[in-house]
Amino acid sequence: MKSQGDNVANSVVAMMLAWIIPGAGHIFLGRWVRGVIIFITIGATFWSGVALGGVLTVDHRNARWWFVAQMLTGVHGLVGFYDQKQVYQTLPAVSNDAELDAMLQEKGIALADNPTDSIARAYTGVAGMLNVLCIMDAMLLGLMGVRGEGKRAVGGLPAEDTQPHEQPDTAGQGPPVQSPAATDSNPPEGLP
Amino acid sequence: MIATIFYNPVSLPSDALLWLLPPLCLAVAIIYKTIRTQNISRLWLDTAVLFLCMMGGLAALMVVGYLLVR
Repeated sequence: MKSQGDNVANSVVAMMLAWIIPGAGHIFLGRWVRGVIIFITIGATFWSGVALGGVLTVDHRNARWWFVAQMLTGVHGLVGFYDQKQVYQTLPAVSNDAELDAMLQEKGIALADNPTDSIARAYTGVAGMLNVLCIMDAMLLGLMGVRGEGKRAVGGLPAEDTQPHEQPDTAGQGPPVQSPAATDSNPPEGLP
Repeated sequence: MIATIFYNPVSLPSDALLWLLPPLCLAVAIIYKTIRTQNISRLWLDTAVLFLCMMGGLAALMVVGYLLVR
C-alpha cells in the first residue's frame, strides 16, 4: 500500500501532465484508454475551432478570457499562441487595435466574420474547460491512489484495500473468521 | 498544406452554423462520460445516451422558443 505522501506526489504529477498534454494524466495513472480518448477529443475540438476561425482565434489581445480558457488545453493552446505570435511579429508596430486589424486585412490574414469567430472561440474555449474536468479527475484519482482501470477507491483507500478480506486467526484455532463486510455480501440460506 | 487549413477562417453559410452545435455536444458527452463512467466497456453506449439526451433537450428548447416567438 502506498503512503499518503506518494498519493499527493502522484496527484500533482498527474495534474501537471493532464494540463500539458490532455489525457497524459490519465495515462500516467494507468488509464490508457481514457487518456487516449481525452487526448484525441480535446485535440480535435480545439483544432476544429482554429480551423473554423483561423490563426487569430487564439488572440490574447482582443479576447483575453477566451485566451485563458484556450491556454487550459496545454500544448494545443501553446502551439496556437505561438502561431498567433508569428503572425503579429510579421507586422510593423502599430499604435492601436483598429490600425492593427486594418493592417492584418491588408496582409491577407482574414478575420473571421461574426458569428463564426464566436463559434470558433467557443470550440477552443470549451476544449480548455473540458480539459479542466480531466485535470481535476486526474488529480482526484491520484489522491485516492487509484491505478489502472480497477474499481474506484472508497473512503480514500486504494481500490485493492476495499475488497473484503479474511481476519487473521490470532489464537490459531478454528476456521478463519470473515469480516462483516464479507459476510454481509452472502445472503442467508433460503433467501435469493 | 496543413498549416493553411489553420491559417485563414472557413467561410460558412449562415444556415450551416447550427450544424456546428452537435459536434461540440458530442465532444462534451465523450469527455464527461470518459471521466465519469465506471465500466470502460460501456463508454460508447453511455456517451450515445448522454449525447441523445443533450440533443433532445436542445430540440425541446428550440420548440419552446419557437412556440413563444410565434
